[in-house]
Amino acid sequence: MVRKLLAFVVAMSLLVSGAALAQDVAWDVKGPYVDEIILPIIMDQEARIIAIQRGDIHVNPGLTQPSHINRLMADPNIEITVSPGYHMFYLGFNMRRAPLNDITVRRAIAHAINRDEIILSLFEGYMLPLAEFVPPASPFFNPDTDVAYYDPELAKQILDDAGYIMGPNGVRIDPATGQELRRMTIMTPTMEVAATSAMLGEMVAETLRGIGLPVYAEPIDFNVLLDRLDTDLGGDRDFDMYALAWSLGRFPTHLYSLFHSKFDVPGANNMPGLRDAQFDAAAERVWTPRNLDEAMDAAYEAQEILSWLQPYVPLYSRPYMDAFRKDIVTGYVPHLGFGAASNVLNSIWTPLNIRLVDQERGGTVRWVLEQEPQGLNILTHNSAYDSRIFGLVYGPGLIAAEPINNEDLPWEAERWEVGTWTTPEGNEGTKVTYWLRKDITWHDGVPFTAHDVKFTMDYLKEKQVPLYLEVWENYSHSEIIDDYTITVYFNNVSYWYTYNVQSFLAKHIWEDVEDFEAFVPWREPHPTVPGLTKMIGTGPFVFKEYVVGEYVRVERYEDFWAGLDK
Amino acid sequence: MSRGYLWRRVVYGLITLFVIMTLNFVIFRIMPGDPVSLIISPQFTPEMKQLLIERYGLDKPLLSQYFLYLQSMLTFDFGRSFVTRQPVLGELLSRLPNTLMLLGTSFLLNVFIGVWLGIKMATRQGSRMDTAITGVSLFFNAMPAFFIGLLLLLAFGYYWPIFPIRGTMSVPPPTEFWAIILDRIHHLVMPVTAVTLSGYGSWYLYVRNNMVSALGQDFVLTARAKGLPQREVLYRHAFRNVLPPIVTLVFLSLPGLITGAVITETIFSLYGVGRYLVDATLQQDYPVVQGCFYIIALAVLVCNLLADLVYGLVDPRIRLR
Repeated sequence: MVRKLLAFVVAMSLLVSGAALAQDVAWDVKGPYVDEIILPIIMDQEARIIAIQRGDIHVNPGLTQPSHINRLMADPNIEITVSPGYHMFYLGFNMRRAPLNDITVRRAIAHAINRDEIILSLFEGYMLPLAEFVPPASPFFNPDTDVAYYDPELAKQILDDAGYIMGPNGVRIDPATGQELRRMTIMTPTMEVAATSAMLGEMVAETLRGIGLPVYAEPIDFNVLLDRLDTDLGGDRDFDMYALAWSLGRFPTHLYSLFHSKFDVPGANNMPGLRDAQFDAAAERVWTPRNLDEAMDAAYEAQEILSWLQPYVPLYSRPYMDAFRKDIVTGYVPHLGFGAASNVLNSIWTPLNIRLVDQERGGTVRWVLEQEPQGLNILTHNSAYDSRIFGLVYGPGLIAAEPINNEDLPWEAERWEVGTWTTPEGNEGTKVTYWLRKDITWHDGVPFTAHDVKFTMDYLKEKQVPLYLEVWENYSHSEIIDDYTITVYFNNVSYWYTYNVQSFLAKHIWEDVEDFEAFVPWREPHPTVPGLTKMIGTGPFVFKEYVVGEYVRVERYEDFWAGLDK
Repeated sequence: MSRGYLWRRVVYGLITLFVIMTLNFVIFRIMPGDPVSLIISPQFTPEMKQLLIERYGLDKPLLSQYFLYLQSMLTFDFGRSFVTRQPVLGELLSRLPNTLMLLGTSFLLNVFIGVWLGIKMATRQGSRMDTAITGVSLFFNAMPAFFIGLLLLLAFGYYWPIFPIRGTMSVPPPTEFWAIILDRIHHLVMPVTAVTLSGYGSWYLYVRNNMVSALGQDFVLTARAKGLPQREVLYRHAFRNVLPPIVTLVFLSLPGLITGAVITETIFSLYGVGRYLVDATLQQDYPVVQGCFYIIALAVLVCNLLADLVYGLVDPRIRLR
């Protein structure tokens, strides 16, 4: 625990100079303050740094390179916010093959890796060491998990005790065969694709050779890497170890989808091949809890089991570092796990609260888009850049998460109640009743009602929209109680369904859309309101313009239900 | 030039196109992975992957995919991008103007500067000016375009910020016609300069070397002995001799105008074909890469044919049969 804390302090001490941390920040549910947000597209990282220093943009999210962070920290006009993120970079094992199928070898490797050294040498301290399977930013993080801390002597001792004695050539002897351990590799993306990952592979391999394990880095093409992780070779896979990252969510459901034995199949994410009945039972409870307490208990247990079984060695977690021109804008809100400007779809607080330094209301904020949006259709998008626009236009949905602790905050739903029902097949299912606010309108002035929620859920299911499979696959039906009350039924039990219910499709716009993939809502003019397109939501900003290749522009929605004058 | 020769070239071109189309299909199918396996997210389940595979038509037998592919190429209906779900042809055409503006302008400047300097320096072979210009041209020719781009970005975007650093227009853009034109030119200065600086050197060296060789030929000596003015010797005799390979080179370079300049497009945030093609290749976005490579292959074949035809026109000694 002391070592973990030390590593955290080392990293954070480098982070906090000139940086704002989430705890210090004031935020309000009312807004927005600015009249419009323009999102110019700037693809090159260096150009984005120059752009914010020139004042061409005011918000530059997602800094990753230490040289850029250092440069901006030295600029008196710029403030960088730091928010621990839901992110995990890890070393994964192939547990199907010897010697990595031996828990003692995996645990020895976990003890041999010096996370602080990796973070300091590759990232100049701008990452947070991570030894657990849920990042500390999550409320489901178990601080008492017994993790394999850095202790190279203990690593050697574990191997010695398990019979992997050191051979004459500096390579340990496999007790099962009496021969030197076979050569093993760590697959990473290449230097050209992900330089730090490739270097990390080299560092870890060198460390492991130092304790007598013949491990070498293997930087390979990313497509080949993914293919080798996924291809079944008669119960085995063609890799020993690999280094990759996951972007995680607010809830710990990844413990189920990444490690349950059900997902040890091609196309699924249990690449290490973990198969453990005790863990599976805990993971199933993580996936289908009846309430948050049950989810918490299950997540804690699952983390403890994983820390013992060590299918991965978690290495570090990336904090969201977002840069702002503090001489031009203020009011930005770092959101635990999501950052101040990196994940607008999950965190509406900065768009709502940001304002110009020299005027209380009005004006324009320039918030960069790092890539071209991929079509701006909420049913087909899968890029973070589309999501930024969707966050501004559609808002958080029925339930938001407040930025300090990520606790539920009623948004379009004033309240909700979770219960159970008996499905026609006689199984126990989940039902969630939402009482909607009555003062919400779509951007064209049409009231937002329970009919829109039902329509959205039915549409997703009827069209089998792939991106929302998780939302509709266990959805049964909805029952409208009145215009502002709806009960949504699911075919099995899980508290997470509370957050699955979507409300982003305006029934009066989408009911005529047969082919949702061919539909480009932002290109089609609104049927009745001049100046609007069919891309309308209930969020704080109205979509106005997308000049392909150049910028996106949104304007403050005058009748936003949480507007400053409401 | 006989009509038979022309038809033979067209038929050879069509056969080549068919082979390219087939390779274009096969290569992406035998590459490791598939478009769906590249989506990595803890939420992405095998069921979701299967849904996408069906939606993309990748569950159909390979032969049936191949015939559908041939049909789509021949009708120029390349289908929808797996990533954006937008029609490929529309996306490609929307990116083409920026690419043509960047690479077309740079190409003209490359040819003009390279040819003009090449001729001038060939006449001053061995002079200080020739040594200096050849050295500078070699230097820029050896420098990667991205490095020149980044240097320009720092120099004229940051330390002396006189040029815009992104896109092709101001945000928001001006509304008056001439203001729009000037705004576009202002935005193009740095990317065009980057591509031109890294590209003119090869033209310069090619023309200079060919001109030096031509100026040493007997027919140039004869022209000079006849008392013809230097300008006439240079352009009507020596340069005329160098012109046919330059024309060929120009035509062979034309398809490059539509393939884009991925790094320059990225550094200066230009919405162009290069970035589109590279992203699609990395994401195994079959409809996009197939459509783009088909168009590029067509352009190469047409330009090769044109180069052959024009060669005969500019060099009277050549008669194609």
